[in-house]
Amino acid sequence: MSIHRRVLRLAAAALLAVPGLLHAQSRQISGTVTRSGSGAPVPEATVSIAGTITSTRTDAQGKFTITAPAGDVRLTVRAIGFTRKDLIVLSTKIAADIVLDQDVFKLEEVVVSGQATTVERRNLTTSIGYVSGEDLTRVASPTIESALYGKLAGVNIQGNGGAPGGGIQMQIRGNNTILGSYDPLFVVDGVIYSNSRVTNGRGTIVDEATNVEDDPANRLADLNPADIQSIEVLKGAAAAAIYGSQAASGVVIVKTIRGLAGAPRVDVSQRLGSFDLLRAYKPGCFASVADAVSAYGAKATAFLATHPLTCYDHYDQIWGKNRVSYETVADVNGGNETTKYFVSATWKKDNAIEPGTGFARQALRVNLDQKVGQKINLSVSSVFNRSVHNRGWGNNCNNFACFGYAEAYIPSFVDLRKQADGSYLNPGTAGGSAPNANPLQTAEFSRNEAETNRFTGGATLTYNAYTTDKSSIRVIGTAGADLFNQNDVLFSPNNLFYEAIQSRPGTSIDNNGLSRLINWNANIAHTLRVGGSQFATTAGIQYADNRLKTTRITTDNLLPGQSNVDRGTNFAVGEFLQRNRNLAFYGQEDVNLLNDRLTISGGIRAERSSANGNINKYYTFPRASARYTFRDLIGSGSELKLRAGYGELGNPPNFGNKFTTLGTPLYGTQIGLANGGVAGDATIKPERVKEIEGGFDLNLWNGRATVEVTGYRRRTTDLLLSRTPAPSTGFNSQIFNGGIISNKGLEVLVGLTPVQKRNFSWVSQTTFTIHRSNVDSLPVPGFRPPGSGFGGLGVLFLEQGHPLTRIYGPRYKSGLSAANCAVGGKCTEQGDLGDTEPTFRMGFTNGFTYKSLNFSFTVDWQKGGTVTNLTQVLRDDGATAVDWGKPAWTKRFLDNFAFRGVMTDYIESATFIKLREVSVNYALSRKVAQALGIGAKEIRLGVTGRDLLWSTKYSGLDPEVANFGAQAIRSNVDVTPYPPSRSVFFNIAVGF
Amino acid sequence: MTNTKICVAMALAGVLAVAGCSSDQFDIQNTNAPTVEATTGSPTKLTLARLAVGVGSGLLADVGGEIATWGAFGREEYNLLGNDPRTTTETIGGPLDPGGVGGGQWNGKYAAIRTINIYLAAIDKVPASDMTAGEKAASKGYAQTVKAVLLHRLLLRNGTLGIPVDVDAGLDQPPAPFLTQANAYNRIVTLLDDARTNLAAGSAAFPFVMSPGFTGFDTPASFVQFNRAYSAKVQIHRATFVGGGTAAYQAALAAIGQSFIDVAGSLKTGVYYGYSSASGEPSNPLTEPLEAVRFYIHHSIETQAQLKANGDKDDRYTSKTVRVATRTQNNLTETLKPVIYNVPGTFAPDLDADIPLMKNEELILLRAEARWFTSDKAAALSDINVVRTRSGGLPNTSLTPGSSDAAFITELMYNRRYSLLWEQGTSWNDARRFSRKGDLPRDRPGDTIFDFMPIPAGECDARGLVVPCTPPTT
Repeated sequence: MSIHRRVLRLAAAALLAVPGLLHAQSRQISGTVTRSGSGAPVPEATVSIAGTITSTRTDAQGKFTITAPAGDVRLTVRAIGFTRKDLIVLSTKIAADIVLDQDVFKLEEVVVSGQATTVERRNLTTSIGYVSGEDLTRVASPTIESALYGKLAGVNIQGNGGAPGGGIQMQIRGNNTILGSYDPLFVVDGVIYSNSRVTNGRGTIVDEATNVEDDPANRLADLNPADIQSIEVLKGAAAAAIYGSQAASGVVIVKTIRGLAGAPRVDVSQRLGSFDLLRAYKPGCFASVADAVSAYGAKATAFLATHPLTCYDHYDQIWGKNRVSYETVADVNGGNETTKYFVSATWKKDNAIEPGTGFARQALRVNLDQKVGQKINLSVSSVFNRSVHNRGWGNNCNNFACFGYAEAYIPSFVDLRKQADGSYLNPGTAGGSAPNANPLQTAEFSRNEAETNRFTGGATLTYNAYTTDKSSIRVIGTAGADLFNQNDVLFSPNNLFYEAIQSRPGTSIDNNGLSRLINWNANIAHTLRVGGSQFATTAGIQYADNRLKTTRITTDNLLPGQSNVDRGTNFAVGEFLQRNRNLAFYGQEDVNLLNDRLTISGGIRAERSSANGNINKYYTFPRASARYTFRDLIGSGSELKLRAGYGELGNPPNFGNKFTTLGTPLYGTQIGLANGGVAGDATIKPERVKEIEGGFDLNLWNGRATVEVTGYRRRTTDLLLSRTPAPSTGFNSQIFNGGIISNKGLEVLVGLTPVQKRNFSWVSQTTFTIHRSNVDSLPVPGFRPPGSGFGGLGVLFLEQGHPLTRIYGPRYKSGLSAANCAVGGKCTEQGDLGDTEPTFRMGFTNGFTYKSLNFSFTVDWQKGGTVTNLTQVLRDDGATAVDWGKPAWTKRFLDNFAFRGVMTDYIESATFIKLREVSVNYALSRKVAQALGIGAKEIRLGVTGRDLLWSTKYSGLDPEVANFGAQAIRSNVDVTPYPPSRSVFFNIAVGF
Repeated sequence: MTNTKICVAMALAGVLAVAGCSSDQFDIQNTNAPTVEATTGSPTKLTLARLAVGVGSGLLADVGGEIATWGAFGREEYNLLGNDPRTTTETIGGPLDPGGVGGGQWNGKYAAIRTINIYLAAIDKVPASDMTAGEKAASKGYAQTVKAVLLHRLLLRNGTLGIPVDVDAGLDQPPAPFLTQANAYNRIVTLLDDARTNLAAGSAAFPFVMSPGFTGFDTPASFVQFNRAYSAKVQIHRATFVGGGTAAYQAALAAIGQSFIDVAGSLKTGVYYGYSSASGEPSNPLTEPLEAVRFYIHHSIETQAQLKANGDKDDRYTSKTVRVATRTQNNLTETLKPVIYNVPGTFAPDLDADIPLMKNEELILLRAEARWFTSDKAAALSDINVVRTRSGGLPNTSLTPGSSDAAFITELMYNRRYSLLWEQGTSWNDARRFSRKGDLPRDRPGDTIFDFMPIPAGECDARGLVVPCTPPTT
């Protein structure tokens, strides 16, 4: 590919466009920019003269002075949070005051259109999701993803369980890979930000498949929502292609708050609240000792001889406590024309519903903007985070260490609470199938803690090399690093009931993940204005170096009471290092024609990566998009925008895919080398996503109503796949590129301001997402993707011509049921049981403001999709189901599942409606605030709630669940996860 | 266009940031495990010594599965754990599922053979300055012998279906063709003979640390005795399985003469699959406490045990089993636990217990068979009597040189069943090679004695054949 010729051509275009000279005659225009209603000055507003690139910014008092050419000029005034306003200034005038209206739907926000270019949302050629910082932090949220529920169209956010501090996946426009990386690319202030999930080896303690069921928090949990100015989601390939081979699953661009010129403003906010259990299983009570004995056998007879047949509510005993949680945020924001700063500190502690679990985050951010001379601007961002996750023991366990799993087997007549003598009852003494595990004993003595210390910092240097009113050349460079160390300490002491019965009781794990992401880019951007047209040319280079090293020490047979990993007898150690480097060159041309009505944008990116088989080859990712806007077509102040785009994205091979590695068996106290069984592919190349999208945006009544509709169709080719060669070759799998999957969908965003009066306003936003996938071609036999479920219990199964999200498993053949199927008869088959893909997902956010009182709420509605409810299987098996022994249980569990293996009764609808957020906020009047005499200018009080109300027919606790954690394709498998909780926080914010 | 050209273009354009221009920067190796390319590209004596450890550990592939599965096929034992009902249904009554139980005991050995082929190919690449010709020959002789053992065990699994032998081609090549059972035996014999030649030309010591289990056979000069012993076994199987006849038995006798056979020595002397309870090392796959309810010795071992002069049962029955609580699964009822791999006396599980690969006792029985069928019948009976008396505490056999072949086979199979119980699936193999499947017990109507295990489904799939498949043989 002759990328260099394209680059040179772009460079030539930039050089040829030599700008003209300044107009000889000019005048100064001065004025003030204020906000409608309050009349407060608007600082940092951009005032520019149409048809030129002359612009200035208002000062802290909202005042500005700009040099204008002779004759009538049109001033355009923009400010963050306000709709743009145009004003004609006659040739005779030198003063102009402008009043700005609030931009309710953020149509004026500037979002990225390239590595070094930005565009107002209203002029976008593609659909880019946008959420402002205030929408993120209105209601207290543990992590930013949980604050995004229901607020973005085309972005599917789903939790893996109720454990504190995250464990949430964000899927943009569906599944675009099977075995490749499935995470969106996160970019925070230009720095690529790791969302890794560092597994901790929990499986050794809880006896399940190591790593895939560890359910670690994704590291986006470190990002402090309070620091965020905005989140932009590049959903489509036409937009995300600026990030090339890292963007197959979309790009999320996070901008943090920057300082504004003016006197220092200090804000302190304090939140205080708690979490409590949202939904619980009712206990399965026994009417008589005989019933209990029929469920749990002779052991129950002996146990009940000395204990009463009380029916204890175990969910209440284990998860019924609520403790105080809090969050303190303090920030200072200020500066002058040359130096601006934003400093914030956060101290947060979520004490979750399970004893000993919670999430804490401390963060200190310093953002600095410094002008150096007239032409150079330096923006520095830096943040230090410390996060502590105590996620407890949830999901699948095979030794009953996990709370929910154990509870499913503990007879309801066992009191789990600490006894008067300080001991705990061992449920294993109360029933034949009851486990040697008491969750409250486990909670008191065990530990599953991850502490992460993280630094993310970067700097962007902008050099305005050349500026006239017709053209400009800017050189922009960004460099940054994202570094973290996650240390997991897992401790399961030998006095726990489930440890004591093991041959080497007591296990301790010390796990470390060390991540380092470094990236930099350098760009040259040229802008040329000719009449009503603008040509923006960008060329650049981007480099990224990623490294993640994990080390782990596991010990068992611990000394009593000791947790250090050197205090046992059997040691297992491991180390794994992944490393990748990427280099990309890109060029982009954005053409704005017909007085801002038409934008055509095109670009290409050429990229090489150490992950590819051929490390010297540049893979190219083109993109092109356009929009045309009809103004005032449907009434004055209306805009109808039509847009279409095409783009290609890549997804690099996984680290190591290109290598055929040897195994390292230990034998006879020697370490050896042996065939590893997995054949790499020395020619492995990136997966490629090709997408076409189209849609329209409608803005009515000067931005009071907005509709955004986007449809897309994407195909991923050259999938990373694994095939099984003839076993006689000695290999059990071989990595290769092949196959095609496709995704299509529709996204709708509707914003309305039904009422906008001086004292009362009502703002409403609705998101709607529908998405479908298909396996178009699969050059291997159908298979279960990793982490897709448990064999025979309803799993994802990929086959050509079926959705990726299909759940497949044992069911009755047509026309058969338990009634006409003998046990052991061949009347079942493997077939479709469901599909994890929702029919659609909708979000509604409404905000009502009356004077200083604001009330808002967000509802998240998922219709359809199915969940494999293995929690119910366990409860049915453990005789804790509320209908145990009743006909419904007999039919579901014994007749269908246990005797005939049929799963159908445990595949349930995942439909839910969740009231995600509710908030009531009240701002005290300035007079009252000042009267308090503490120097406060502003005081806001509020109450917020998250997940207060749910409606779902799902018989389990939460249909939003994934036992195997984040996976390329969601598996919707429910195995006794950490139960869901709701939270209520009171907050007070004081501005000084 | 290549990276070099881009870098020249960038340099011309005056771009300073040429971080990506050094190709080495992007040549990031996988440091987590050695790659085949890096290991075998320019190997050294040291890397080969490590591969030799891998060759040795590869010998353990499928051993536990073979003993348990073939043992059940030959009614030496049943797996009555019950967590997988197939151990009492499919494994005993069939049909064997090529995608499940029936497809087992295949992949592991071929994976180990790939290791050996990597090793053999790498030996010749080591410069003479690093490794002498003698060391190379010794290394080859060792690996070829191990490979022959693995191929022979695969052939026992497949029987008349034959096996693929030339499996060292790359994945871009079609899968290796199946050889007929007879041709496969010929190839294994040749391989063992090549190995012997190499061992004879070998250095005084192996240029690597020998795997556990080869104690006493850990130099080329002593290892060749094992090579000959195994060659004798292969020849005798060849004689019975594919009609190798007297010639094969003669060859076996010649080989035994160069082996470690010793009628006066310990019957346990020999080569073992070595196991260890040390962290990370392979441990004995069959041992379990007496309370465990997985493996049970078949009751016919008790009922058919011959009596000693004092009326007690065969010592081999007494020493290798312990009576425990009766367990029934799917109408199979057993009460004897194997204690062959348990600590004597306490019967605690012994993860360090080695499993015999070829022991003196087996060699004596092999010689008995070869002698009988080469008309050295009195000597054959004398060998039988060595085992009967020394291992079983039994009186001499009542057979005479005038007895029928059928009577001799019955006597031979009895002794092999008891001497090699729970060690290698002997009863199933003998029942097939002597066409004595009818002698093995069938405890339930419909229970079967199989001729072979089917070709694994994956092997059929990769050859474009419908499962269950019978690939063409050459």
